[in-house]
Amino acid sequence: MTSNQFTITSPPTDAISALKFSHAPDSTRFVVSSWDKNVYVYDLRDENGVAGEGKLLQKFEHRAPVLDVCFGATEDEIFTAGLDWDVKRIDIASSSQTVLSSHDAGVRSVVYSKEHNMVISASWDNTLHVHRLADDRTVTNTASIPLPSKPFSMSLTATKLVVGMASRALHIYDLKSLSLLTGQAEGGTAPAKVEIEPWQRRESSLKFMTRCVACMPDDAGYASSSIEGRVAVEWFDPSAESQARKYAFKCHRQASDDVDVVYPVNSLAFHPVHGTFASGGGDGVVALWDGIAKRRIRQYQRYPSSIAAVGFSSNGKYLAIAISPGYEDGKDDVVDGTVKIYVRELGETEAKGKGAK
Amino acid sequence: MGKKRRSPTLEEVLARPWCYYCERDFDDLKILISHQKAKHFKCERCGRRLNTAGGLSVHMSQVHKEQLTAVDNALSNRSSLDVEIFGMEGVPEDVIQSHNQRVIAQFQQSEAERQAITGNPPSGASTATGQPAKKPKVENISDLKKRLAEHKAKKAESRAGGSSGEATPVGAGQTPTTAGFTQPPTIAAPTQPFSYPQPYGGAGSPYQATASPVYPNFSPGQPQYPPPTQYSTPGYSPQPVPGFGNTPSQFPQQQPQINSLQTTFAPRSGSLPSAPSLPQRPAVGAPQVNAYQLQQMHMGHPLPTTAVPGVANGEKPEPTAFSSSVDDLISGAAKQADLAAAATPKPAEGAEEKPSKKDKSKQSRLVYSDNETSPEEKMAKLPRYAFVPDRRGETALQELPPSVVVGQVPISEATVMPDP
Repeated sequence: MTSNQFTITSPPTDAISALKFSHAPDSTRFVVSSWDKNVYVYDLRDENGVAGEGKLLQKFEHRAPVLDVCFGATEDEIFTAGLDWDVKRIDIASSSQTVLSSHDAGVRSVVYSKEHNMVISASWDNTLHVHRLADDRTVTNTASIPLPSKPFSMSLTATKLVVGMASRALHIYDLKSLSLLTGQAEGGTAPAKVEIEPWQRRESSLKFMTRCVACMPDDAGYASSSIEGRVAVEWFDPSAESQARKYAFKCHRQASDDVDVVYPVNSLAFHPVHGTFASGGGDGVVALWDGIAKRRIRQYQRYPSSIAAVGFSSNGKYLAIAISPGYEDGKDDVVDGTVKIYVRELGETEAKGKGAK
Repeated sequence: MGKKRRSPTLEEVLARPWCYYCERDFDDLKILISHQKAKHFKCERCGRRLNTAGGLSVHMSQVHKEQLTAVDNALSNRSSLDVEIFGMEGVPEDVIQSHNQRVIAQFQQSEAERQAITGNPPSGASTATGQPAKKPKVENISDLKKRLAEHKAKKAESRAGGSSGEATPVGAGQTPTTAGFTQPPTIAAPTQPFSYPQPYGGAGSPYQATASPVYPNFSPGQPQYPPPTQYSTPGYSPQPVPGFGNTPSQFPQQQPQINSLQTTFAPRSGSLPSAPSLPQRPAVGAPQVNAYQLQQMHMGHPLPTTAVPGVANGEKPEPTAFSSSVDDLISGAAKQADLAAAATPKPAEGAEEKPSKKDKSKQSRLVYSDNETSPEEKMAKLPRYAFVPDRRGETALQELPPSVVVGQVPISEATVMPDP
């Protein structure tokens, strides 16, 4: 194996909820949100800009566990969402925190669309909040979009937003119409309620609860995972030919004494360059997949505990893997020292698909 | 005999199944088959174990779109895909023969070594020391009688029409009771040159009994042996056995084996003299050979190609022809069935596998089995993660007590845990 792996010093003290790399070209900065109420900003570069073992730049305390985080327009802007019901913008350089809006329940996910300059948050109060930002990074207006079920995961491309929800519901929104329709709503922290029909309503291809959705970097489709060790790959194009291409496969399972132990697939992340994707499961295994050729590229050695999140750096050279003791049946304690962040430096072709044979 | 009981007899050694591809031998056929599946018929792409090389070839081309060219882990001259091998079935007769010869040679050599170490001279060693053996009586009476009968039959046959009797002088006085032929396990020391009758010993071998009657006609100990440099071994397929045939004494020792196998083929060999009146003929079906051929045979070569073409050429004999020789291994019907199964392994295995996959999914156990409430929601309900909005200050949210926040996901309480 050509890759070399290291752990990040000063990881969160409690379970990790999300890990995201900055989208800025060649940036090696990433943020991690944790149940210890903090958001951590790490960078693999040192002061001289040389990529190394990585270090903690800053951490921002919240009032409640943070469930999701994402980068904004630059690597100095992040948005956070958590159990304190708030969606926040944090400017890393100035450490200033601004509440964009408040939901009526914990906020599960937050994403940022740089094409439309929008922050979208999904909360267990069954709503999406769409925040349109002005160039001075203030919110011009906010719209609240009702959802049929609790959202569990959200991912977007340049043009589409995919929301995976309870009851196996899945909505695909067109960002352009979302931007137009919410643009008419009134601004402020009290969001105007807007009923917006999604571009597509789908039922999950998987029989069990959706755990994670992740969009392909080429805007062609998305992958979703469930608590029942399965990943589905689907395409946006509603034509019959494209829909015929969708498929699902089993993964993150272990056979022990005739019983197949099935782990949830907690995290999916697409490689920004090769279009392959990584999956991280409750079994502590990270696997790389070629979604087009339908082949597994490689599977890394088991990590000591459940994979909470995986993420590729914007240049595709690093794969960060966050592990936390999984919240599984009958297990809810986090033992110290079990929360870790690994970073793999990937070889040139390590995440590259083999091509169809 | 007590000594022999401790180590496996030649019979037992010869009966052991062995792998065509790597010449390894095994305790039983099951282990051999699993060995072949693991070592030679395993797909290097996906690790699937196929039953035959042909099956693996089909699997490789259909599943991985690759062409299998050679069998993995095989000896260089055995890696061909043309031979359909399953366990001991399908092994070409000439390969079986050379394997058996090698086993016999090894057995005899180890026996000799063992005797050298223990200091117990083999009963047949008397000829080497120039003394007549004391042990002829060890051979039991029934064996003696059998061999005498065979010898007589042989003589009668050669008198009746066989030319071989004339071509080589019948060893005068070489009755079956001669020391050389009645000696039980006679093992030549590896360094021994051809020494008259002794090499034909080895009473432990089942082949000895059937083969020995041939030898009186060959008049062992004849002085006109050609020098060993004239040896050419056209009939042997190359053997990857180091040391095979290096010691001259081994050639005569192998001869009984060759002849015994040839007798097995007697019905096929058209050149055999007919001896209709003799019931034992199949056992003593010595081919018609001229003096030169006899010499060659005596030197340890198999019969010239004209005599037994199927064997000497290394062709694979038709299964029906040698079925009698391997009938204790396989019945013809079983073989046909297995071949048929081997020819179409794919659909059968696929059909088997699908139900088993379904069975597995039935038995699977979800690590996280709540299909309604996400792990994050459950965690959020834990007291230590409870959010207290009071800290926010005096804003409008104060009317919401923490319990409301914690209870934001009340559905889970009523949720019936779906049993996988």
